[in-house]
Amino acid sequence: MLGIALMAFAGFVALCLAMEKHFSDLLGRKPRPGQLRLLRAAGWLLLLVSLMLGVNLRGWAHGLVEWTAVVMAGVTLWVFGLPYQPRLLLGLAAASLVLGPLLAVFAV
Amino acid sequence: MKEGFRQAMAWLHTWTGLIFGWLLFAIFLTGTLSYFKEEITHWSQPEVRSHALDPVHSLEVAQRYLQDNAGHSGTWFIRMPNEREAALSVGYRDAKGGPRGFVSKNLDTQTGQPVEARDSRGGEFFYRFHFQLQMPYPFGRWLSTFCAFIMLLGLVTGIITHKKIFKEFFTFRPGKGQRSWLDGHNAIGVLVLPFHLMISYSSLVLFMYMVMPAGIMASYGNDTDKYFNDLFGRNDAPKVANVATPLVPLPSLYAQVQALQPGARIGNIQVQNPGDSNARVTFTQSAADHVAYRRSANWTFDGASGALLSQGKPESGAMMTAFSFAGLHMGNFAGPWLRWLYFFFGVSGTAVIGTGLVMWLGKRQLKHAKSERLPGELRLVEVLNIASMSGLLLAVAGFFWANRLIPMGVEGRADWEINTFFIAWGLSLVHAVLRSGRRAWGEQLALGALAFALLPLLNGLATGQGLNHSVRVGDWAMAGFDLTALGTGLFLAWLAGKMLRRPKPVAKRPSRAAKKPSTETAEAS
Repeated sequence: MLGIALMAFAGFVALCLAMEKHFSDLLGRKPRPGQLRLLRAAGWLLLLVSLMLGVNLRGWAHGLVEWTAVVMAGVTLWVFGLPYQPRLLLGLAAASLVLGPLLAVFAV
Repeated sequence: MKEGFRQAMAWLHTWTGLIFGWLLFAIFLTGTLSYFKEEITHWSQPEVRSHALDPVHSLEVAQRYLQDNAGHSGTWFIRMPNEREAALSVGYRDAKGGPRGFVSKNLDTQTGQPVEARDSRGGEFFYRFHFQLQMPYPFGRWLSTFCAFIMLLGLVTGIITHKKIFKEFFTFRPGKGQRSWLDGHNAIGVLVLPFHLMISYSSLVLFMYMVMPAGIMASYGNDTDKYFNDLFGRNDAPKVANVATPLVPLPSLYAQVQALQPGARIGNIQVQNPGDSNARVTFTQSAADHVAYRRSANWTFDGASGALLSQGKPESGAMMTAFSFAGLHMGNFAGPWLRWLYFFFGVSGTAVIGTGLVMWLGKRQLKHAKSERLPGELRLVEVLNIASMSGLLLAVAGFFWANRLIPMGVEGRADWEINTFFIAWGLSLVHAVLRSGRRAWGEQLALGALAFALLPLLNGLATGQGLNHSVRVGDWAMAGFDLTALGTGLFLAWLAGKMLRRPKPVAKRPSRAAKKPSTETAEAS
């Protein structure tokens, strides 16, 4: 489930960065045209894939519940940690993007 | 018209939130503690030692004990130990023994002997309090269910009132006074919304026979027992035949259950007419095995021959829906990490209510920032805020201190723990009346910080099962409790420091509000 949690976390971070205000605040530059839309699509895709992996791994009952729980936990950590440790959280998101799918594939 | 609607919802959110917020805070906090009900009970009764789980051995032990001590009883109950509950608890009806004709004992699974644990309600107290509020039946249930309805109403009106639910989805701006409180309130409400909605709606489902009894009454009149019997099936044993027949060994029935449902964990076992030719044994699967709180997962055997007589019928769709909500609410199925998340979501629900109460007052205090005293009604809210939040934390700490300090043999020991809880709560109310707002907050939080941070030390001194011991033997329920108490203490110390140190941050705000007024007017009056 950890891999799935990391993927969902990365997904929500992508959705956050897909908002112009957060993009320029966090990355310190204006987004290029199309970049925001790409981020949004990537975010939703990550969420969807992590949900599918979760249901696949744990069945509908546990999968849905656990996916919802890790998504809520991840996005809460992101939002309340952001004002204090933005660089750390961005690093964590980048790491999640790599580690998440790896763990999800190999830890089954 | 649209603005009018939103204003009306904001008004409803503000005022129902205020009136029921104090009680809701207590319900949410004690409910959150209930996710660790068994662990709290384990801490409260450290005499009950945990051993490696061995269901077959546990059943042998329970059967031997009951046959030796309760051969005359018509009904036995066995609750199996599990990952979270160390004790093997057995109980039996006995008209002459125990309160209300019922005797119950905790057995040590290895020795088979009853454990003389200290008399304490443990986690059960917080669990019962969160939906009965220490009131006589059925008033506490009514009130807490009504509070659940208000919570649901608060969530819906809150969503309607929140203008920028998507635009500010990821927004939290600390260090900006009222603005930060509102951000925090909104963010934690929105981000954990699925949990908040689930928990308040499922509370209504859990007590739906009380909340919406019309359908039941139309079909069953006042005979609601009949309704429950129809719903859950009746556990009727035939009359005693008065033909002495030894009860089959329970482990053999356990093996049959394992063959029918491989890997099933057993929660409770009921034996009716033991030692008679009409004996009945019912095994019920542990609630930890399903997300839904299913009543149907049970097997009834003939206790004389060992033949399987019946199995619970699968639930209908409507029942399964209701049981799913019940199961989600109670979280019996959750393993360690998911249980911790449940706990943190519970804390976040508590925080939504707490921040709401603080904001209600903060907004109105601003108008009186220059005057010496608050108007009476605001002062009342302030006192109740302090007593209901920091005071409740002190009460919880008081319960745990009482658990370690009241000597073992005292008459009515468990009641005295509960009395300590309410006395501490009452004293915090007196303290809040006597001290000014900020000082009262700071002092109570500081005392709470001390009380929680010193709990592990007290535990170590009083029982010899402090962190040095529990970590070494791998008793993670005990260690987890102590570490959580320590963490709570540190968090409260941080809060107390904020309250006691910073004088008045109000002075800076008007200039900031003047600079960008547009963002400040989002919420309720």
